[in-house]
Amino acid sequence: MTVEQNFEALDQFPAGMRVLAVDDDQTCLKILETLLRRCHYHVTTTNQAQKALELLRENKNKFDLVISDVDMPDMDGFKLLELVGLEMDLPVIMLSAHSDPKYVMKGVTHGACDYLLKPVRIEELKNIWQHVVRSRCDKNRGSNNNNVGEKRDGSGNEGGGNSDQNNGRANRKRKDQYNEEEDEERDDNDDSSAQKKQRVVWTVELHKKFVAAVNQLGYEKAMPKKILDLMNVEKLTRENVASHLQKFRLYLKRISGVTNQQAIMANSDLHFLQMTSSLNGLDGFHHRPTTVGSGQFHGGTPGMRPFPSNGILGRLNSPSGIGVRNLSSPPAGMFLQNQNDLGKFHHVSSLPLNHSDGGNILQGLPMPLEFDQLQTNNNNKSIAGSSMAFPTFSTQQNSLIRAPNNLVVLEGHPQASPSGFPGHQINKRVEHWSNAVSSSTLPPPQTSNSIHHQFDVSPLPHSRPDPLEWNNVSSSYSIPFCDSAATDTTNPGAFSRNTDFDSNANAQPGVFYDSLQMRQSGNYGPTTDAAMLSNNPKEGFVVGQQKLQSGGFMVADAGSLDDIVNSTMKQEQSQGELSGGDMGYGGFSSLRTCI
Amino acid sequence: MQRQVALIKQSLFDQGYLDEQFMELEELQDDANPNFVEEVSALYFKDSARLINNIDQALERGSFDFNRLDSYMHQFKGSSTSIGASKVKAECTKFREYCRAGNAEGCLRTFQQLKKEHSTLRKKLEHYFQLARQAGPKETARRPK
Repeated sequence: MTVEQNFEALDQFPAGMRVLAVDDDQTCLKILETLLRRCHYHVTTTNQAQKALELLRENKNKFDLVISDVDMPDMDGFKLLELVGLEMDLPVIMLSAHSDPKYVMKGVTHGACDYLLKPVRIEELKNIWQHVVRSRCDKNRGSNNNNVGEKRDGSGNEGGGNSDQNNGRANRKRKDQYNEEEDEERDDNDDSSAQKKQRVVWTVELHKKFVAAVNQLGYEKAMPKKILDLMNVEKLTRENVASHLQKFRLYLKRISGVTNQQAIMANSDLHFLQMTSSLNGLDGFHHRPTTVGSGQFHGGTPGMRPFPSNGILGRLNSPSGIGVRNLSSPPAGMFLQNQNDLGKFHHVSSLPLNHSDGGNILQGLPMPLEFDQLQTNNNNKSIAGSSMAFPTFSTQQNSLIRAPNNLVVLEGHPQASPSGFPGHQINKRVEHWSNAVSSSTLPPPQTSNSIHHQFDVSPLPHSRPDPLEWNNVSSSYSIPFCDSAATDTTNPGAFSRNTDFDSNANAQPGVFYDSLQMRQSGNYGPTTDAAMLSNNPKEGFVVGQQKLQSGGFMVADAGSLDDIVNSTMKQEQSQGELSGGDMGYGGFSSLRTCI
Repeated sequence: MQRQVALIKQSLFDQGYLDEQFMELEELQDDANPNFVEEVSALYFKDSARLINNIDQALERGSFDFNRLDSYMHQFKGSSTSIGASKVKAECTKFREYCRAGNAEGCLRTFQQLKKEHSTLRKKLEHYFQLARQAGPKETARRPK
């Protein structure tokens, strides 16, 4: 138990506990001081609230506990209480001669962990250390995310929000809930208890405020309660902030490998939101500490993320978990760190796909999954589908993913008719894919057999993740992807799949190409894609586009896709393992529809 | 001598000038803090004298700002409670009631009473401490029967 640990850590505790006593009445202060000393605490006194704040601000770690009078001339005791709780996150005990329950209530709602009546007796003071322990316990629990139970809320604010990112997701979930239930002393108590199950929609505005608050506090020091107060949003509870902070941290972690966190934070609003927005349905990120580019999605797929496939996946057309799960082993870059994302398409957001324009946050980031994202971004669904496809590929079941992705992708656009493009091929391929997808096995023998293979090829990410490749590609990919791909394709319509993609992909052919590469590689394996793309830059591009479209690539053009597919296929023939089919397929089928 | 001191103290308790809180304070007194109770008392009287002054002035002004008076009195009551000055505390409570009732005259009357109690207590305690110092440091708190 943490308590015991705490005790072990401070074997003298509670002796030596550092208390700051604040009371404007000299008599009371002196008595209090003596009483506290008698309890073997280390006492600092001041009769001014302002001075107390200064002392606290000077060194947050200088004190363990604050005891404050309620009626003080220079500052209301409750106000001091709030400030201390907010800024320093220390337990505060209120002291007053007022025995009126209203005062006590006020104390509690402002976050006091106890309320003592004057005259204070030494017996009462002998036990105040429990508040310190409790608060530490809560914090530990928050960070460890293990003990869901017994979160006696002393003053633990961080329960939900602490950086407990990689702990059991399930635990986290439970803990969050638990925290919500237990949280009685937050100032937004009433609201929180009423709202605890209420889902807060993190709009861009809200998220911006959140990020601003976090930035202001400093990322390391951002605590839910403080953020909440800085944000000053009505009806937002600490729990909401805490869980959002958690997600945000995971998100940052994910992309932190790629780029500077600050940069991310700067741009991340949309990105993050996109990622999360889809999640609304999902609960929390099931973040996996996925490393960007590391392509190691370890974790069993399913374990990876308790992906709430419902929401996002649904979008994807329910490749729900498939994509996500599979993502477990993200191909070097391919994987978007979070499978969740994949599911959610957070990725998308990360990618420059943001609808807005290439301004992807991801740009700089080697987001392997980018294309997934891109896809998703641009296209609501289609992308989603694609992304799914991708993720699935990349993740674990490389082969599976890959193949299915491809297949799926293609599938999506059976009808895509590459106008004027060699898209025909692609189209065929698409069909091919769809077949493949549907069959959830390697693509059925189709005309575009080659393509097939190609798709199959690369067992995604795993085997071949070419991180470098991906990364490079991805970066460029992300942004242009959306735009170029989309624009470029000859027919956005042609590829039904690409619908969204198209738009995205079209933006920049060149870029697109890259993206395609990425994607392809990602799906197929980085190497292949590169090769593929290199072969036909244009084609590749096109293909890529198509791919995108089909598989979630934002293949702009069916025709091109065809080409691309062809080329890739050649290269990746070996790879084709669409074995899975399940994964991808499962998801894909849904993708298909969207595509 | 010590017995005398003890007796005086006892009578203070018996007469209701002091209550258990005073005893608690005495318990806090130890070798590290030999004159703790006396110091606290001195503080109390200094502080409360200031308060009384403020209240006096407020009352003399005749404005009868009950809120302000109430808050002064709350403070007064707080310190009196901490030291165990029960009679003074009782007067404070009465005063506050009058304040809340808006009874200016009641306030005035009570305040006079309060001042009286206050000064009585002060004298008695001063006397007590004097004796105690003379008697030596070996005083222990004894609960009134």
